[in-house]
Amino acid sequence: MKLYEYIIRRLILMIFVLLGISLIVFYLARGFPTGIDPVTPYIHSKMTAEQIEMVRKIHGFDQPLYIQFFYWLRDILQGDWGITGTWANSRPTNVVFFSHFPYTVELSVAATILTVAIGLPLGIISALKNNKLPDHVSRIIALAGYSTPAYWFGFVLQLVFFYYLSLWGLPHLPSSGASGMEGVVSRITGMPVLDGILAGNLGYTLDALAHLILPAFSLSFISMGFLTRIVRAGMLEVLRQDYITLARSKGLTERVVIYRHALKNALIPAVTLTGMFFALLLGGAMITEYVFAWPGVGQISLRAVFQGDSNFLLVYTLVTAAIIVIANLIVDVLYVFLDPRIKY
Amino acid sequence: MEKSEVGTIKSEWAARWADLKYTLYLLRKNPLVMAGIFMTLFFIALMFLANYIVDPRLANPAGYPEFGGNYPFQRSYVWSKGNIISWGPGIHLYEGSEFFPLGTDGWGRDLLKMIVLAIPVDMENAIIITLGAAAFGTLLGALAGYVGGVIDEVILRITDIFLSIPYLILALVFAAMFGRTIETLRFSILLVFWPTYVRLMRGQILSEKEKSYVEALKALGAGHARVLFGHIIPNSIYPVLVQATLDFGSVVLTFSALMFLGFSPSPSLPELGNLASDGYFHIFDAPWLMMFSGLTMLLIALAFNLLGDGLRDVLDPRIRR
Repeated sequence: MKLYEYIIRRLILMIFVLLGISLIVFYLARGFPTGIDPVTPYIHSKMTAEQIEMVRKIHGFDQPLYIQFFYWLRDILQGDWGITGTWANSRPTNVVFFSHFPYTVELSVAATILTVAIGLPLGIISALKNNKLPDHVSRIIALAGYSTPAYWFGFVLQLVFFYYLSLWGLPHLPSSGASGMEGVVSRITGMPVLDGILAGNLGYTLDALAHLILPAFSLSFISMGFLTRIVRAGMLEVLRQDYITLARSKGLTERVVIYRHALKNALIPAVTLTGMFFALLLGGAMITEYVFAWPGVGQISLRAVFQGDSNFLLVYTLVTAAIIVIANLIVDVLYVFLDPRIKY
Repeated sequence: MEKSEVGTIKSEWAARWADLKYTLYLLRKNPLVMAGIFMTLFFIALMFLANYIVDPRLANPAGYPEFGGNYPFQRSYVWSKGNIISWGPGIHLYEGSEFFPLGTDGWGRDLLKMIVLAIPVDMENAIIITLGAAAFGTLLGALAGYVGGVIDEVILRITDIFLSIPYLILALVFAAMFGRTIETLRFSILLVFWPTYVRLMRGQILSEKEKSYVEALKALGAGHARVLFGHIIPNSIYPVLVQATLDFGSVVLTFSALMFLGFSPSPSLPELGNLASDGYFHIFDAPWLMMFSGLTMLLIALAFNLLGDGLRDVLDPRIRR
């Protein structure tokens, strides 16, 4: 199979995955009497009963559930993503979603950078000093990483870096929100840090970065542990192979052996798991956003869950699922370039 | 039975025994794994003993029944020491004192005792969820790997769908729609955790079923069920065990996270996430509530993760040495 055939096959499969996801979420969000009536967000005080009936007819809310799904599918393919819950002042779902999505992207990207920057060295050290003190220390950090309740860790960070530091009159980090200077810089990308850089406003950028540090670190703590363990396992496996022994017996320095020969191959499994990290970060972002009052889509979807707001939940799950699937696809394609033994 | 046959069986058992001894030796060599084993045993013991150590009636927010709904400690004494904070009617948060080493929660219940009572709730649910997810996923994975063809493809695609949904949202939507009961929560978390086992078991079965002993068994006239359940699954179950041990910590965390987010069947249920969510609104003035309940969750998850990590190192033939 050629590479582009493989990519096309995967993309076609993705459509089925997205369809399956929307079926599940649609059924869960609309199919139960505990959920609110899907027509609720469409109603405002000036509407007559006839107009409400008309909205019901147009979007198929009066039909059985399985027919409603096709109405929804028709609407979404026509670009009408529906109106989202009363908590968002009944605004169009896509407007609400895409104005908050950049915040989540910023948080996830920052968390990914921190994950790699901390997790990679820890994993390498762990493998090189196998079963010695540095290995134990890095193992404890890594395992504590994915044993930590996300919201609890966020709370501890807030308590230490915001509350106690401010109690003692020391410079402290902000505990909530994405930016303390809303509206100073025009929104271009929607990500505060990037907007600040684009506008050339140093104060705004630094403020946005200060807001970003705690949530990003809190979010990266889980995936950091996973990365550390995977890099360690990959490194241990590679270090026992013949070509490493050969490289050593050639008289190469340990530095060259490890960084030029071992690391490249040891990183392949770590790269393949980037897709998984992304899923983990996007899923974990919900709780982190809730704790840090980060204005991203995760926090909003949490509110949507409690309100039974099917329109927002569908958009949220579909977009994040599409990102996860595409990230996995990119990783699988990268794999071919990283490891020449693999063919499709 | 002939002599030589007895001999081979004996030597086979001797080999297994030697293997087990070597495994135990490897486990003993690593202090962190030992710590994990002891912590795990401690929490399991606490799971069985908690209701004997602490009177479960203490969890009743109305106070002791035999004291007519009041608490047997003297509140005035605590008041006079100046470490009571008044939150308004109905909320009694005390900071740690000689009466309550870790302080109290919003109902004036001793936090330490509530944490002891909460541990069996979390552990029991996590055990049920993990075993359920592992059993379900393993069976589906075994089916997919062993039968192959269309069934394999269908099971894999369904797994893909479940793996692509952000893991919390599925559990949240499910729990929100089916109402707030423990059973709903269990099932909603199970929904998130089973797909990993399908992938894992399928991969194992695919390599295992090509081995010559399977062919030999089939030649001897063994049925599919016997080959699969009697031989292939037992031979490839180790990674599942390791994964289940590792997942146990995540399940505890997810379960308490759902409780924390407000899916608790009752706000007074002593459960770690529930206690923490009580503390969320008093995050800066009563930090002990969240601090200690979260720390307990961390310790439970860490215990099982240390154990699982050690088991993986020891049972994985590629890393074992």
